[in-house]
Amino acid sequence: MEAVRGMTMRRILIACAVTWVVSVGVARAQTPAPVEPAAPAAAATAAAAVPITDADIKGIGGPSADDKAKGDPAGTITGTVNDIPVGDSKKGLTVADVVNTVGQNVIASNFIWTLVTGFLVMFMQAGFAIVETGLARAKNANHTMMMNFMVYGVGMLAYWLIGFSIQMGGVAPNTNLGGLAPLNHEVTMSLFGKNVGLFGTQGMFLGGATYDVGVMVMFLFQMVFMDTALTIVTGTAAERWKYSAFIISSLFMGAFTYPIFGNWAWGGGWLATLGANFGLGHGYCDFAGSGVVHAVGGVTALAMAIIIGPRIGKYTRDGKPNAIPGHDIVLVLLGCFILAFGWFGFNPGSTLGAATSGNLRISSVAVNTMLAGMAGSFSGMYYMWIRYGKPDASMTGNAFLAGLVAITAPSGFVNPMASVIIGLVAGVLVCLSCEIIERKAKLDDVVGAISVHGTNGIWGVISVGLFADGRSNYAGAWNGVPGSVTGLFYGDPGQLVAQLIGVATLLGFVFTFSFVLNAILEAVWGHRVTPEVELQGLDIPEMGALGYPEFVLKEEGATV
Amino acid sequence: MAFAGVIVTFAGFLLAASSIGIATANSVRLVIVLVGIALSLGGIFGLLNPAYQKNAAWKR
Repeated sequence: MEAVRGMTMRRILIACAVTWVVSVGVARAQTPAPVEPAAPAAAATAAAAVPITDADIKGIGGPSADDKAKGDPAGTITGTVNDIPVGDSKKGLTVADVVNTVGQNVIASNFIWTLVTGFLVMFMQAGFAIVETGLARAKNANHTMMMNFMVYGVGMLAYWLIGFSIQMGGVAPNTNLGGLAPLNHEVTMSLFGKNVGLFGTQGMFLGGATYDVGVMVMFLFQMVFMDTALTIVTGTAAERWKYSAFIISSLFMGAFTYPIFGNWAWGGGWLATLGANFGLGHGYCDFAGSGVVHAVGGVTALAMAIIIGPRIGKYTRDGKPNAIPGHDIVLVLLGCFILAFGWFGFNPGSTLGAATSGNLRISSVAVNTMLAGMAGSFSGMYYMWIRYGKPDASMTGNAFLAGLVAITAPSGFVNPMASVIIGLVAGVLVCLSCEIIERKAKLDDVVGAISVHGTNGIWGVISVGLFADGRSNYAGAWNGVPGSVTGLFYGDPGQLVAQLIGVATLLGFVFTFSFVLNAILEAVWGHRVTPEVELQGLDIPEMGALGYPEFVLKEEGATV
Repeated sequence: MAFAGVIVTFAGFLLAASSIGIATANSVRLVIVLVGIALSLGGIFGLLNPAYQKNAAWKR
């Protein structure tokens, strides 16, 4: 039977390999020769253009009231000149009215895009909640779910109070969202003769001048990203984390840890300006947050895992790990799908707009996201199948997420082929990393968050420096450096150095900061519940109610 | 040893960040940053984690 299974396995692998090789060959064969752009024709059109005057516009007529009254099943007479608001009824429609309407439509479509994708990212909290709860034991279901539920509110409060101000308080100007002019003060210091940003100061409580429509869009989008980072830690420390300690730790992370690195990478801080100030490519580039969101969450989870220690029963006295299976694999895989759906907000939404400035690349970002996730689940599943004889479901889910985490930073800068490679590497990397974390480092990570988000977040950051193909064009520049982000394989080694400085910052600064904060909290408050509470399950002692009151829970150490 | 781990981990970051001022050639910067990353990893997994593992509950 085993031999037959082995042969079947080999046949599947060979079939997949052949399919892959043939696909690559066909794709190359179908690639057309580059076509020179029709520059002369475009130039002639530009030369023929004449300014539009108010008189030209006055001659444009819309559909009559009678025509509109008949209905518009084809949609051809809805949205015409009649729908452009007139500034001065005495003058009638002017060029200024038309131009202002066009400008507002650009910003409106960017607002809608960024808000809707932000709503998708918010829904990822549901995905994280059921993945983590499914991977925990039934006796801790209420506690794990409540951590995931309240991390949203706790994080948001901290971010509204001060976090947003630190991260984005000096980010203006941002043309996609209408300027964000009120976010205009960044505290700087001199580093090797250059002024570099450390943290922003505008936007605390969203008061004063930051009571602004563009700032609100930015706040909502950044806030849901921050919450994603916070919820990563709850997965690692589940089943033994004191609920009150979780609240305090999450407040600090939402207020300080996440926003500080967020400012350095996205708020105009020193990492973002490594290119403009020190000639390192386009500075640290992290399109949607492999580093800012996932690696920050991952290294904080690593710090927590060291401080809080493994669950009772995770290791034998000679240090061998015991498997502690989660209680609901259905929840886990459903959660992975919800997360993948939310990732279509995470990555394509990070353009912060759909109109102008090269933002139509959202289609490419979305496809890259899909491909990397698929590739990750594929390689992770096969790794587990070959190594352990079964296509482990929870690790396949984690590999799926690992592919998505890894493509998050490069999704806006790479092509589909690179996305698949990044995803394939991520799928295997997460399995290897889980083994090392569990067996060598002897750290108990309930859901594999350190490997999924930390290790693969870092891989995603590095992959920008390798695979960015120099074909993206977001308003002609990135981080204040003209041109497209280009990685080592496409000719810019400086970009890889900038990315690695980002990695060093994550490991050396963010980890240390998180570790010290949580070590202080451990000393004054304590992170871990008592052994009695842990053995009983955290639902009753910590939350006062079982997640599944009608389940019969077996006692720790009992055999069936 | 835990304190030493924190210091070494942070020193790795300082070394990597200082690469932009120490050298102008990207290859030299790359080497310095990689040494910084290795130092931080050494601090975390070589010093800090073993310090906490020494009194781990599962050893008792």
